[in-house]
Amino acid sequence: MKSTASLERSRRITTIITYAVLILGAVIMIFPFVWMILTSSKTVPESMQIPPTIFPAQLILDNFKDAIASLPFGRLYINTALMVFWRVVCAIAFSSMAGYAFAKLHFRGKNLLFAIVLVQMSLPSQIFIIPQYQMVAKLGMANTIFALVFPGIVSAFGTFFLRQTYMGIPTEIGEAAFLDGCNQWQTFYKIMFPLTGTSVAALTIFTAVFAYGDLMWPLVVNSDLDMMTLSSGLSTLKGQFSTNFPVLMAGSLLAMLPMVILYLIFQRQFVEGIAGTGGK
Amino acid sequence: MNKGEKLSAAARREENWGWIMIAPTIIGLAVLNLWPFVQTLYASFCEHLGFGHYKFIGIQNYITMFGNIEFWKATWNTVFFCILTVPVGIALALFVAILLNAKIKFKGGFRTIFFLPLVCAPAAVAMVWRWIFNGEYGILNQMLGANIQWITDPKTAIIAVAIVSIWSSIGYDAVLLLAGLQNISKSYYEAADIDGASKVTQFFHITIPMISPTLFSVLIMRLMASMKVYDLIYMMADETNPALVDMQSLMYLFYRSSFVAGDRGYGSAIVVWTVFLIGAVTVIQFLGQKKWVNYDV
Amino acid sequence: MKKKAPRVTAAVLALTLLLALCGCGASDGKTHLTFQIWDVAQRDGMDAICKAYTAQVNPDVVIDVQVTSWGEYWTKLEAAAESNTMPDIFWMHTDQILYYADFGILDDVTDLYASEDPNYWTEHFSDISIGNASGSDGRMYGVPKDKDNVVLVYNKEMFDAAGVSYPDETWTWDDMADASQKIYDATGKYGYMAYNDEQLGYWNFVYQNGGYILDPETNLHAGYTQPATMDAIKYYVNIQKNDWCPDQNYFAETSPGTAFFSEIGSMFFEGSWNLLSELKNYPNMVGKWDIAPLPACPNPASGDGRATISNGLCYATAANGKNRELVEDVLRFFGSEEGQRIQGESGAAIPAYLGLEDSWTTAFRDFDYLLDVQVCYDQFDTCVQYINNASRRKWKSTVADEMVKIYNGADIDSQLAVMQAIADRYVETE
Repeated sequence: MKSTASLERSRRITTIITYAVLILGAVIMIFPFVWMILTSSKTVPESMQIPPTIFPAQLILDNFKDAIASLPFGRLYINTALMVFWRVVCAIAFSSMAGYAFAKLHFRGKNLLFAIVLVQMSLPSQIFIIPQYQMVAKLGMANTIFALVFPGIVSAFGTFFLRQTYMGIPTEIGEAAFLDGCNQWQTFYKIMFPLTGTSVAALTIFTAVFAYGDLMWPLVVNSDLDMMTLSSGLSTLKGQFSTNFPVLMAGSLLAMLPMVILYLIFQRQFVEGIAGTGGK
Repeated sequence: MNKGEKLSAAARREENWGWIMIAPTIIGLAVLNLWPFVQTLYASFCEHLGFGHYKFIGIQNYITMFGNIEFWKATWNTVFFCILTVPVGIALALFVAILLNAKIKFKGGFRTIFFLPLVCAPAAVAMVWRWIFNGEYGILNQMLGANIQWITDPKTAIIAVAIVSIWSSIGYDAVLLLAGLQNISKSYYEAADIDGASKVTQFFHITIPMISPTLFSVLIMRLMASMKVYDLIYMMADETNPALVDMQSLMYLFYRSSFVAGDRGYGSAIVVWTVFLIGAVTVIQFLGQKKWVNYDV
Repeated sequence: MKKKAPRVTAAVLALTLLLALCGCGASDGKTHLTFQIWDVAQRDGMDAICKAYTAQVNPDVVIDVQVTSWGEYWTKLEAAAESNTMPDIFWMHTDQILYYADFGILDDVTDLYASEDPNYWTEHFSDISIGNASGSDGRMYGVPKDKDNVVLVYNKEMFDAAGVSYPDETWTWDDMADASQKIYDATGKYGYMAYNDEQLGYWNFVYQNGGYILDPETNLHAGYTQPATMDAIKYYVNIQKNDWCPDQNYFAETSPGTAFFSEIGSMFFEGSWNLLSELKNYPNMVGKWDIAPLPACPNPASGDGRATISNGLCYATAANGKNRELVEDVLRFFGSEEGQRIQGESGAAIPAYLGLEDSWTTAFRDFDYLLDVQVCYDQFDTCVQYINNASRRKWKSTVADEMVKIYNGADIDSQLAVMQAIADRYVETE
């Protein structure tokens, strides 16, 4: 049998190792951001020195100026915000309705229709780009916010995800409301929907993060520089500056800033919103 | 008026509500996703003559595809990418989650940091990693004192892409798994300690079974995403990259066949094959889950 | 969810956003035409021409210029052609024009100036310009916009440091190799940076050596296995074996332009269309570099050893576009002396219109150091038309893949034979 002292010592060693590994991991996670910041204020020749310098010789903002001169960042922020907002609203509204119906209502063809939802999730999104672009073009809506929102009007993932949530809510709650004289819509809207707050919050985060990172669609559908999103704008910047990394890093920082700030403010909600979705 | 009729009227109303409530989603999915997929399916049996005109040629595209080395190479690349990102990525995420589950300070801070990549635009992430991996001026080689052509050497290119992918998703997976770990009652471990079970035994006999539902959903999600990997490769490799053939995934090959070379029939066949693989892997996972996923806790 | 107020606010907010959503319908009573291009650097120049059209020709027409990056441009244009939603005016590239023209997508503009001058095209545009704007049937499906060629860009300071005299029209491949070695020895900087590229790379060497990619007689058969072509490609690929030239791994991550403007390498081949934006993007480098004619092949299999690939874009419109007549009027202006001069003076590109070449110099005068742009104009005398035929679109990317294998160490002779076979596979079906 081990003595208490040696047990204490091995526990302390474990703790130290735990911290060491976590700190090392955190450094790896943070490093690309640090490197992005450092590179963004170097001159091009400086960034390509061998051996490289860690810190820029002097803090220069020229790269940021170049990035801002090439892209209308103000518009990009607004466009991205509008796209994210509308995709989130659509995803919540339509997916809640469909998720509730699939989970709680009985109707013919339910399983077949739900299969459509599942099939969609396994399809690669690249095959939708051309047909969807043609639809938008036919509607005469290319280069609008509507075009950016278009593929996100409905969400198979959201439907699937909220169906799981509604499945977890006891059916008795709905039945009680029904007996109180609510119709199906009222039961859903007044009783059930408010119970899904955490899942809706999580879906908001998923949808927002995905929409914000979406690259191919905005690139194809909106070619007007004033109607681009941050991601597609960044890609345009790459087209212009090729492998001039300091300018690209400056542009990346500007593009990432709003989301990172939002995240740091709401990080608890972000992380816990996601954490609450585990399990099924 | 008897009870049965009344019920059926209610049932009919319920049915109508059901249809109304799923209508926007189903119509949307049918128009936006299902119809394009049906078209892709059809196109895979056709030769693309140009500008959306197709000529039916039977299974010729599939014959060409299965006889093409580049296609098998892309299939292997996709599988290899999945091996790198799914088991390795999830194992790392589980490791991080277990560390975070220990009694430590700044737990929230660590969690915030590990989760950070998720909120960053992939386009920006890919750019900074390209710069870090740069064979000549990249900081990584300088730190390692190595001279590895990370992105342009056929041997390392796909590993580099997998590293970025794991880096981006590890925090997300870890947060999910951590939530699962926190739900495990301490009493299980205390009982095991009394029985004299080693930490390793505890891990495989308590931890894994208890978080198996979370583990399963993380697995499915990661697998689906990895099978469809495209954006990351698109952003990290240029057309002139000498390692392109050794790193291109199935969906990247689809992009190059359909969009760059204009051979949309062949490209569609690649998509159909990819969807088939995803379906097969998913079905296997769902069948296999009975063996190890434990929903009773 | 309990109080009404937030819900009303939300509704109002939603409504406002909805309006913003549809805030695109211009209601100024004018006809708006869309004009799609792929080069951000030329946006202002194109804008200038469009404004001039509105001001000088038709005040009721406003043309909006939109830029899509090269990769997405073609995906999008083809999708638009299928759904009959093409932009009113768009740029056409030589790589693609035959595909579009031969399929009947593009408007035949051969008779655009028929009423005012039946010989308008041949009087004001070179054969190369007309060729780059023609379909396989010899009709014109675009209004020639510009013309370009490839020049040698060099770093003056590095030449000075190595005591080598600047490149001039007497230079040959050997001089370039010598200078590269001397600069590398003296400064440690790279010499001529030869990377895997067609138009800005090995094509020039092939034609300088008297070889060809496509048989000049019929423009059908590929020439990858012609001795002159093979020798030139070998020479070009093997440049990377010198200490003074980085290898292809390097170029896959760092473009020669970036290396050059970071003062890491002393020479590379650049297209004339990029020069102006390089002056703008690298202000600290202005005055440190200049351009020279491409060096000649010292012992060509045939010819005088001189060649530079020349391409040109054209303005095109859809055959069944909604505003076709109006657009044709716009195109007439774009192809006129005035339209072409505005393009040149804005610095967008060298006008295709003969005699207006040096209007392009105007834009270069804004910089402290005037590049020797005369080089570009003079080189039109030794130009080779950009390589293209109707089937090239199908083999282009496959051949490029095989070229990559050469850089990866595969045997050049057998690879070139493979490339030849791929390109020739389509000859019979023409």
